[in-house]
Amino acid sequence: MAFFVDANVIIYAATAGPYHEPCVEILRAISEGTAAGRTSTAVIEEVWHVELSGKAGDISGLAENAHTLLAPLLAVDHETVAAAFALPGSPLGANDRIHVATCTLNGFDAIVTADVDFDHARGLRRVDPLDQRALRRLLAP
Amino acid sequence: MLNERLQILVSAEQRLRLEEQARLAGISVGALVREAIDAHVGAPTLDDRRRAFTAVTAMRGRYLSPEELEALGDDERDRAAPAAVPS
Repeated sequence: MAFFVDANVIIYAATAGPYHEPCVEILRAISEGTAAGRTSTAVIEEVWHVELSGKAGDISGLAENAHTLLAPLLAVDHETVAAAFALPGSPLGANDRIHVATCTLNGFDAIVTADVDFDHARGLRRVDPLDQRALRRLLAP
Repeated sequence: MLNERLQILVSAEQRLRLEEQARLAGISVGALVREAIDAHVGAPTLDDRRRAFTAVTAMRGRYLSPEELEALGDDERDRAAPAAVPS
């Protein structure tokens, strides 16, 4: 089953904490080609921003490695932005709306993310990395 | 060597975009499509992906909660916002 990978999944695979192990498993499955996880240019930009801020410690090279691991990236173009503008009102921020629009335009109905704001995204199912059962279903070959 | 013919259907709007982009780049639409194929389908090999995975999971960054990560993105946008102009 194809799914969208949010920035926090990539960041948590490179940082300590409760999300580390499940996020490592998600990226392992994608790198081995057994799971159809995709992400976008906008997500890589978010990862890069966190990396360069230094606030998550030394994660130098994370964005570039994520780019390799998850290539080819889904494009964010004028069609994506137009679809994001057309989304109904919700607590989602601008970049999150871009992610929802990217999912819609690419036919994804699931996003793996620790960000609970995506629970408000209509037509998109949020899979929390800590939800072992949902994750197993998503990563099943 | 260009000896494979590929016939595809695109929307009128996509064709306009292709023609405009090709004009700006000073190349033919066919050349633009070939460049896009190379950029999009020239994906890394399995070994490349495995190396990237190993590099990512060898990192030991500091944990930030989902809320802190969200706030980090907001901080940058707040900084980038222009100061209010006094009336």
